[in-house]
Amino acid sequence: MSAPIDIKGFTNDTLGWKAWLDVVSLDTATPEQMAVLEESHPKAKVSDYYLFLVHQPEILKQRSVAFNAIMYAPGGMPRAERELGATVVSRINGCVYCASVHAQRFEQLAKTQDAIIEVFTEPQAAGTTPRERAIVDFSIELTANPGEVNAQSIQKLKDAGLTEPEILDLIHSVAIFAWANRLMLNLGEPIFPSKESS
Amino acid sequence: MVDAKNTDTVDRLVGLIEEDQTYQVRHQRDKVVAATQGSENGLFDPTLDGLTVTERLYVALFACVLTPAPELTKEYAERLIRLGADTEIIDFVSAGALESIQSPRLHTILKFTHTLITDPVKADRQALLALPQAGLSTPEVVTLAQLIAFVSYQVRLVAGLKAMKALEKSA
Repeated sequence: MSAPIDIKGFTNDTLGWKAWLDVVSLDTATPEQMAVLEESHPKAKVSDYYLFLVHQPEILKQRSVAFNAIMYAPGGMPRAERELGATVVSRINGCVYCASVHAQRFEQLAKTQDAIIEVFTEPQAAGTTPRERAIVDFSIELTANPGEVNAQSIQKLKDAGLTEPEILDLIHSVAIFAWANRLMLNLGEPIFPSKESS
Repeated sequence: MVDAKNTDTVDRLVGLIEEDQTYQVRHQRDKVVAATQGSENGLFDPTLDGLTVTERLYVALFACVLTPAPELTKEYAERLIRLGADTEIIDFVSAGALESIQSPRLHTILKFTHTLITDPVKADRQALLALPQAGLSTPEVVTLAQLIAFVSYQVRLVAGLKAMKALEKSA
């Protein structure tokens, strides 16, 4: 179910990430910074990404609340489909790191990797079912041309069987990855396991 | 046009009121609603050190101009005018005329904004390191990156909700 994928520079491998500027040291972090790290992510204290963003703790705190509520809240769109939306956005924006993380999560939740192989190969035609294709199409449109999304874009999702709460969850998932990709792409770079040892 | 009762920027710009189905759907995810507004409040907090509120608003305005996102463009331009910002600079930013911006610091900040909004994969290490070279501290760089990334989120949220509301009204 989770065979290695390496297509057009995108992978489902577990990657590292390093910041290009100085991160906050745990030795000198303020109590507020420590609290925000603890509520942001289980591994935030050993992650360059969180240790960099915690230079501005209140902003990170709000971002983490939004991110976690969008990706993990119960009900609404199945979590695997939120991860599919996140992976499509990351593929379109060229964020190899985000794509690897969320491809893995999709595979774990959906117990298949067919859609991921398609998204990495050619996102514009990806999706193994009409519902998946509708999710992928909308994710691309809202990422690439937000000004052109209209009532018809929403109708297509409804025609594919999505309810309004599910559509809202998809909009949130796509939008939050416009945010996440821009941080991951622009503040540091992925570390590839095979290159690490060389 | 500012509705004093409505302190939620996204609801106000989409024109969502409690009677709307789209409003009700959105507010079922109340944590996201609160953290979206909380992020905006945090990013434009006047007590935040570093980038001035005016600099932050120029960045938000420019990001919306480039997207394009008309409602948010108008919103951020109006906030700049209310703050008494230089109308000539507002015009330059609105027209995308970066070459006319005299301040090297603001020029560097807006150039970074341009790359992150239009082609984020092009914003490499060199693009980031231009910011400390222009005198920005690391916490200022974090504020700037979070701000540009947040506006990228906000414009898509507004666009998606506007489309949901448009479908609701056409039904």
